[in-house]
Amino acid sequence: MLNGCLRNNATAQEALYNRFSPRMLGVCYRFAKNREDAEDMLQEGFIKVFTQIHQYRNEGALEGWIRRIVVHTCINILKKNKKFSDSVDITNAHSIHVREEMIPSIMQAKQVVECIRSLPLGYKTVLNLYAIEGYSHKEIAFLLDIEESTSRSQYTRAKSMLEEILVRKKIIQQPKKKTNFFGAV
Amino acid sequence: MEKEFYTDEFEQLIKEKADQFRMYPSKRVWHSIYNNLHPSRRWPSVLMSLLLLTSLMLIGYLNTGDNTINRPINTTPFAKTDNEINNTQKPESKKQISGYTKTQQQPVSGYDHAFDDVITNETDFYAYTIVKSNRPNYFYTTTPVADAMIPAAKNNGENSGKDLIQDVDTYIKSNKIFADIAVANKKNKTNSTKPTAKNSNTDVLKDDNTEVDANTTATDKVTASTPAKTNGNDLNKSAKGDKKATAKINAAENKKALTNEEKAWIENYVLLSKPGKNKWKENLAFQFYATPAVNYRKLSTKTKGSTTAFATMGDINNAISQKPGFGFEAGAGLTYSITKRLRLKGGFQFNYTNYNIAADQTNHPVVTTILLVDPVTGYSYSASRTSTTANAYNSTPLQPVTLHNRTYQISVPLGFAYKLSTEKNVDWFAGASVQPTYVFGGNAHIISSDLNKDMESESGF
Repeated sequence: MLNGCLRNNATAQEALYNRFSPRMLGVCYRFAKNREDAEDMLQEGFIKVFTQIHQYRNEGALEGWIRRIVVHTCINILKKNKKFSDSVDITNAHSIHVREEMIPSIMQAKQVVECIRSLPLGYKTVLNLYAIEGYSHKEIAFLLDIEESTSRSQYTRAKSMLEEILVRKKIIQQPKKKTNFFGAV
Repeated sequence: MEKEFYTDEFEQLIKEKADQFRMYPSKRVWHSIYNNLHPSRRWPSVLMSLLLLTSLMLIGYLNTGDNTINRPINTTPFAKTDNEINNTQKPESKKQISGYTKTQQQPVSGYDHAFDDVITNETDFYAYTIVKSNRPNYFYTTTPVADAMIPAAKNNGENSGKDLIQDVDTYIKSNKIFADIAVANKKNKTNSTKPTAKNSNTDVLKDDNTEVDANTTATDKVTASTPAKTNGNDLNKSAKGDKKATAKINAAENKKALTNEEKAWIENYVLLSKPGKNKWKENLAFQFYATPAVNYRKLSTKTKGSTTAFATMGDINNAISQKPGFGFEAGAGLTYSITKRLRLKGGFQFNYTNYNIAADQTNHPVVTTILLVDPVTGYSYSASRTSTTANAYNSTPLQPVTLHNRTYQISVPLGFAYKLSTEKNVDWFAGASVQPTYVFGGNAHIISSDLNKDMESESGF
């Protein structure tokens, strides 16, 4: 399959696409505003994958390589739309209301993903990159052109907001409050 | 990576659930990718465009009818006058008339060479009588076309992706998934093997496959151990209870994780090296287009120093019967985006113009006079020509024919377009273009000065 893709063979490319596109669309969907935007991101991402596949050095998993390209494509598109930089502003974060009405109660995985998607753009991007994609705050700061400290605080707030939503939606239980040695909160 | 890996149960849960989530893209995505990767395979669509063009040309031709004039003349016997008998056509007599015409032109010999091409083809000219606009309706060969009512197509487009998700949801809700997972789990346990070689491409894929399988097995364990209920409390319990399985997943993921060097290279390549090389290609777009057109004419009598008045019979536009005809424009173009809103356009275009003249065929050639314009001085002068038609109203009934004034043109449109606004799927542009045009063929009919004849020239361009 990989050899076929290197030879620009359409059948091999389609096979590769069929194999990885469902998971990659799931990745894109977490970053995107809606399904159509996610499909556009996926399209651009896979075009990059196929045009740059000769650069893949057979080291590490192919899926990881594809996934990183897709994630970077999502970030590039978000940055290009200019909406991202506005919503990252941490100072106004407390006044942001989560659109919970858009979270459907369909199934657990989708519920969790929809809860993540319901977060403000800046929050969900940082949360996606840090908690799910495994990027460090330093890498996120470089990718999104923000301060490392901003990334950290965004993530902390995003996490608590998401936790709150998941509890409210009864997807998870209320976490026990941490106490110190003397039992105080 | 500096980040500590999943120190938190909550993060584990998010990661786990997000990784489980999959969506199936619509076919449109793959088609777009395919077209982008294999532009040369767009030829089928180009062929379809050519087919469309040919169909349009054929429709246009059939619509305008046959341009050749039926030579057989009305066989109804009628008495001929002496003059008509003298003018009865034979090749020799035609030439005599031509010779006569030239001798008649001697007083204006200064213009003799101005229209050499027209004069040398003089024997090819035919004269037709222009039919008055008050001609009876039954003379016209055209029939009215009834308008067909086209019912508006109902847009039943549905989001197939949503259906898929709902299907999967229903599948999971029915708890059948757990039975299937249990079966798959057993199979995986018996079939799973570890890869040994790593270097070849196929081995990498095998390795990858196996990792996916291992991952799936681990995930299956998590899911299988999860109670069939879908409420949040159970999920939380299952997340806690399956730490071991999750740890296995993490271990598998750690194996797959790229090194810092690899990630840095990918980032550099994707983020920094990507643009630049083919940026001009991104701004370039091809267009193929075909546009039907309706052509009509507006006659004018304004020429410098007109010696014979066209206006003797009133408005020339009312004196003759000429009707709009179908034509079309088709071509290929390139657009280049200079900025987000401004685009330059250029291309190659073929134009076909046509309008129809209702006329009647005569029994024999008739001498008539036309007005020509000297291209050097701009002054008009008279010239004699022959015509093979006569007006219907002042002679016996004749056979009606439709003449076509046609041109075949090649042009090179050059211009620009400015994007005014963008709505959901519609972009609004305003633009302008110049279109240098070369007329390489066609046939024209010249109106005689008494408005009764029409001269055709094959070399009129």
